[in-house]
Amino acid sequence: MEMIIAGLLDAISPASLMFVLLGVAIGVLIGAIPGINGPMAIALFIPVTYYMSPLTAIGFLVGLNKGAFFGGAVSAVLLRTPGTPEAAATAWDGYPLTQKGKGEKALRMALYSSVAGDFISTVVLIVIAAPLAAVALFMGPAEIFALISLALTIIAGIGTNSINRGLMAAAFGILIGLIGTEPVTALPRLTFDIYQLGSGLSLIPVAIGLLAFSEILLQLEKFTVKGGAKQAAIVFSSKLEDRLLSFREFFKNIKTLLRGSLIGIGVGAMPGLGAPVASFMSYDQAMKRSKSKEEFGKGSLEGIGASESANSAVVGASLIPLFVLGIPGNLAVAMLMGAFMIHGMQPGPLMFKENAQLMYGIYGSLLLASLFLLLIGRFGLRYFCKAVDIPGVILYPIVVFTCVMGAYLGKSSMFDVGVMLLFGFIGYYMRKFDYSYVAFLIGFILAPEWERALQQVVIISEYDTFMFFQRPVAMGLMALTLFVIVRTFWNNIKDGRKKQLEEEEEVATAAAAVGEHKGD
Amino acid sequence: MTRIKRDSIAYLVIVGFSILMLTWGIPTYTPAYPGYGASPALVSNVAVGIMLFMACLSLLRIGVALYMNKPIPAEEREFPEDLEEGSSFTQVGRVKLYHLANIMIPSVLLLLVIDYIGYMLTAFAFLMVIQHVIGSRKWFQSVVLSIILTGVLYIVMRYGFGVPVPGPQIF
Repeated sequence: MEMIIAGLLDAISPASLMFVLLGVAIGVLIGAIPGINGPMAIALFIPVTYYMSPLTAIGFLVGLNKGAFFGGAVSAVLLRTPGTPEAAATAWDGYPLTQKGKGEKALRMALYSSVAGDFISTVVLIVIAAPLAAVALFMGPAEIFALISLALTIIAGIGTNSINRGLMAAAFGILIGLIGTEPVTALPRLTFDIYQLGSGLSLIPVAIGLLAFSEILLQLEKFTVKGGAKQAAIVFSSKLEDRLLSFREFFKNIKTLLRGSLIGIGVGAMPGLGAPVASFMSYDQAMKRSKSKEEFGKGSLEGIGASESANSAVVGASLIPLFVLGIPGNLAVAMLMGAFMIHGMQPGPLMFKENAQLMYGIYGSLLLASLFLLLIGRFGLRYFCKAVDIPGVILYPIVVFTCVMGAYLGKSSMFDVGVMLLFGFIGYYMRKFDYSYVAFLIGFILAPEWERALQQVVIISEYDTFMFFQRPVAMGLMALTLFVIVRTFWNNIKDGRKKQLEEEEEVATAAAAVGEHKGD
Repeated sequence: MTRIKRDSIAYLVIVGFSILMLTWGIPTYTPAYPGYGASPALVSNVAVGIMLFMACLSLLRIGVALYMNKPIPAEEREFPEDLEEGSSFTQVGRVKLYHLANIMIPSVLLLLVIDYIGYMLTAFAFLMVIQHVIGSRKWFQSVVLSIILTGVLYIVMRYGFGVPVPGPQIF
């Protein structure tokens, strides 16, 4: 109990409050800018947190992530350009409302739904993470090795249409993650005699390069290749009923919000699925169960609520696998995991034992971030809307230069800037060729832990090849890994055949139509 | 170039890289087996092995499709200018080399010269070039933005975080 009170008191210390608030505000602002998302924002701002206490740093980054999730809805609603992938479903109903001058009402619905989903999932995280972590403590190296193998397999499917390319990207990430000092011999490995690689590649330059710099390279194509993009002016109605959201309008959709939150929690708690899945799933369910289906896609507040409650609920729930098992379920959490490690903590079940006070402080910060999101959104909505108007010629040089200096900040080393540029270049090619940089990054982060678990298994088992057969949980997880691989390949083959049959049918139909036409 | 051709080249590059790593990179730059635990080369060999296997599998799939004269899906036949397909994380399309060079060359130059001419000049010149590259022709605005950004980041780094900026120090 003392720990809980001390942790919560830490969370409400002035510094912590200020940085959580700042994180949420920056997150909303950044999320509102099309092309910049939560994980990218975390990558850019992790270097800034080097100089903060662990609680302040994590609180700031969590606030940033939560803010960015809502911020994504701003550009989705106002421009039909989702700031983040998970806000795509929000755009379907948000933008038609903007066209009717009701953009502010749509944004208010998005805000309240986001806060509701986020708050519910944070409460679920607080209630279930610690008991689950206590169970997870019984897991040994064999189970951890099997679990990371499973996570890597599931994650290989994210961010690409091809499991082959996903696995290649994850394997490449693992290879790059192994550069540095080998844990058993303590000798350099895969350093190619470059002394700066002796301690391995830092997460920050790699993440900034892959997430931020490569994204900017893509975004800038619009300017250097297409000569810039113009957007229509946004007009808000001055009528009060078009601007404000009544209690009746909000509570009419409460069932949808609760369903969306539960879907978000379920999806977020499972590694590899991510917020876009939750958002689309919830939207689909809301549409199927709605009494006014015909309004979906034309400006339905229910549609916005479904999408936003689900994608925001993923934020809290996705921390469950991180806190319980030490495995990041999505990109934003992978970045947070990196931040934990930078501040000297290894996410996982032991955190509740070793850093209990900090964990309760983080819980406090998570709840505060929800509250701040509500306040900032409620009173600053109109100002954040202006973020979508920042001209690219001003915004992008700032982001490019921030990438450069962010990479430099960690070790005050220009070598890291070079690493950032290299991974920006690799990331650009990965995106263009449909290789998952998400799988790469998670492979990169998990590689050392995976290898450590393997080394422990080999040493403890004294080279017993059948070690896994003596550990039922580990065996079950390895069997599940194999099942996931086989099932994914099978689905790929099935989808390919289906596509091919459809094409052949189309060709046959077209040929028949031409034949009939000639006959006439 | 069709997409299938481009993908095949990418797979061949991965095969080449994997073979190079397995035959030279990993054996040369991995410590010898110390006599206990797993070999230091085990995980790296497994990772590269997965890359090699998957790339070969993909090449085999393409080869079989071509050999059996199966119709190739439309999206793999032609290579459109810009595809909206791929997952939400990727943006499959043509690599715009000219664009890439426009951004990468100034960035690499910044990396090379900052140690010699210092942060202030390099940062200012870099920002001017980047703004020009992305189409800004308002010189006054570009100069003002470059000066402000260079100055703000200098102050934040030097006095906010206490980190020396790269290159020779002016202040």
